[in-house]
Amino acid sequence: MSPLLDVRDLRVEFATRHGTVTALDGVSLRLEPGETLGVVGESGCGKSITALAIMGLIPMPPGRIAGGSIRLDGEELIGAPERRLRQLRGRDIGMIFQEPMTSLNPVFRVGDQIAEAILLHQDVSRDEARTRALELLRTVGVPDPGQRIDAYPHELSGGLRQRVMIAIAISCQPRLLIADEPTTALDVTVQAQIFDLIRDIQDRLGVAVILITHDMGAIAEMADRVAVMYAGRVVEEGPADAILDSPAHPYTRGLIGCIPAIDPALAALDRLPPLAEIPGVVPPLHLLGQGCAFADRCIEAVDICRKVAPPLTGRGHAVACHLHAAAAASEES
Amino acid sequence: MNTAAYIARRLFYGLVLMFFVVVLNFVLIRLAPGDPAEVIAGEMGGITQEMLADIRATYGLDKPIATQLAIYLGQIARGDLGMSFFFDQPVAKLIGTRIGATILLVLAAQLVSILIGVVMGVFAARKPNGVVSALVAVFSTLGYALPVFWTGIMLIIVFASWLPIFPVEGMRSARFEGGSFAYVLDVLHHLVLPAVTLAIIFLAQYARLARASMIEVLGADYIRTARAKGVPERRVVFHHALRNAVLPILTVAGLQFGNLISGALLVETVFNWPGMGTLAFDSILRRDYPTVMGILIIGAAMVVVANILTDLGYRLADPRIRTEGGRR
Ligand SMILES: Nc1ncnc2c1ncn2[C@@H]1O[C@H](COP(=O)(O)OP(=O)(O)O)[C@@H](O)[C@H]1O
Ligand code: SF4
Ligand SMILES: [Mg+2]
Repeated sequence: MSPLLDVRDLRVEFATRHGTVTALDGVSLRLEPGETLGVVGESGCGKSITALAIMGLIPMPPGRIAGGSIRLDGEELIGAPERRLRQLRGRDIGMIFQEPMTSLNPVFRVGDQIAEAILLHQDVSRDEARTRALELLRTVGVPDPGQRIDAYPHELSGGLRQRVMIAIAISCQPRLLIADEPTTALDVTVQAQIFDLIRDIQDRLGVAVILITHDMGAIAEMADRVAVMYAGRVVEEGPADAILDSPAHPYTRGLIGCIPAIDPALAALDRLPPLAEIPGVVPPLHLLGQGCAFADRCIEAVDICRKVAPPLTGRGHAVACHLHAAAAASEES
Repeated sequence: MNTAAYIARRLFYGLVLMFFVVVLNFVLIRLAPGDPAEVIAGEMGGITQEMLADIRATYGLDKPIATQLAIYLGQIARGDLGMSFFFDQPVAKLIGTRIGATILLVLAAQLVSILIGVVMGVFAARKPNGVVSALVAVFSTLGYALPVFWTGIMLIIVFASWLPIFPVEGMRSARFEGGSFAYVLDVLHHLVLPAVTLAIIFLAQYARLARASMIEVLGADYIRTARAKGVPERRVVFHHALRNAVLPILTVAGLQFGNLISGALLVETVFNWPGMGTLAFDSILRRDYPTVMGILIIGAAMVVVANILTDLGYRLADPRIRTEGGRR
């Protein structure tokens, strides 16, 4: 099967006060039709930038795509004309953002904001678009949709607004749905409902999903494959089971390997805690030197780690770590 | 709060404000040098002390200021602006014949400055380091710093003398003939220079505000959502962003009405525009107290009404204010 999405060696740079920083440094991702790819990593690791790059929405300037390729169904998106990207956005790729409170336009009714997406991409009348918007509100579980369709965003709760965002994202039956931390800003109880909704929609539409989240429980339940990002790189990538059961990269192990105190609120909901805390912070991009970006925080770091950046190696389950490469090599010999 | 209660409250505050306008100006005018009785007497020819005393008695000028103020307030409360010292006509009638010209000038200037200001601001926001941005910055300083008289006279020299495109003064041609449509055109033709003169003061301010507001809105999350839907960039800017970016401009526009009306009074004297400004100017010179007071009161009332109307407009434009009280 040919991949639906094939991102290769993607490099994104930003011009900042500290000079040019590399926000994405050779990111590669593959996604088959209907598959779910979970993307995890601490804040600032480049998850949103990866999503925006796929949408063709990196702010330029200060951003710049410095290299690599993004193919959707074989079609190269980097350098594609804006007209073409506009067609794909909202029609073939839908996106849900982290901030439901601010992601809807405050001066337009939510029904009109859904209908706009439909009118942009489909040859339907205004009435038909409104009817579709009403159906969509029902699909995403907005109660009393006949009334809510004329509501303004501020009249809806965060959870309902996120459902409206989802309605917009799926309004044209996209082949790819990108959910960038869709629940981070929501109450814990609402979080579970939104994940359930995304799963339900995926079952119904057969849409491929890129799920960016800190919620390892959601990853465990929904993701087929997982990509772990750190400082603008994918440091581990593979089947969700393999990564959750036997994480190979010290960073991934730090994130999910040790699950210490279970938060009672989460335990009551039968959910795993969010990513564990790893001592230290992600280094600012402009301070990244050569070598492994995780070296300063890695308890297993050896000499070579500070000199040479480890490449992502291995098929199926790939890891970017010198130790892992050495272990794999000794196993083979 | 519902709209009716809101208007009632605003009207009440407006009345309080106008009370202070009346008291303060009444006292100020009477403290200013110059004796209206002498001016009135001067108009009549030879002056004797008896005539002056007579005049003072007729107009109540011989009573103490506090008494005069009390009488005046009572009269205002009955909706009577009094008689002009100079014209021997009710002040209300004098103002009535001129208020239309002033409102026309103020609204035209407001419209021109907001429209052009917003357009300039939007273009400046699209390219924060571009030529339009630089122009807006220069204009903001100039437009604000240049005196209205100077701008007006410069415009007259250039566009009425050198290039005789527009009339030098007045509101309609002296010997006008033609239908009502031609009449409207004639008035508009006369309106251009005064309106532009007045607009220039405020234009730059709106442009700067629109630029800042637009830059902020274009960085909002909902703009990213619009782009993620595949909305064409032009529609992103002029539909999704502009609707939000004009909200602070509406607020400022409401606050500017006071400045706009006082600016109009100056511009009118430069262009001999037959509005309240020229009347005020002449009345001050003539120490025509009732007329000056009447103009101040009506001017204040215009500001109050304009503010209420702008607020109502804002409520229409921003649904978050229309339905206060939050989530359903
Ligand atoms: N507009 C920008 N200008 C400069 N740097 C940016 C900009 N947007 C993002 N970055 C950088 O890109 C990195 C990745 O950001 P992002 O993808 O938002 O992280 P996250 O994984 O939390 O979604 C961050 O470290 C940030 O410094
Ligand atoms: S390469 Fe070295 S520093 Fe980086 S994760 Fe592996 S062991 Fe740690
Ligand atoms: Mg992010």
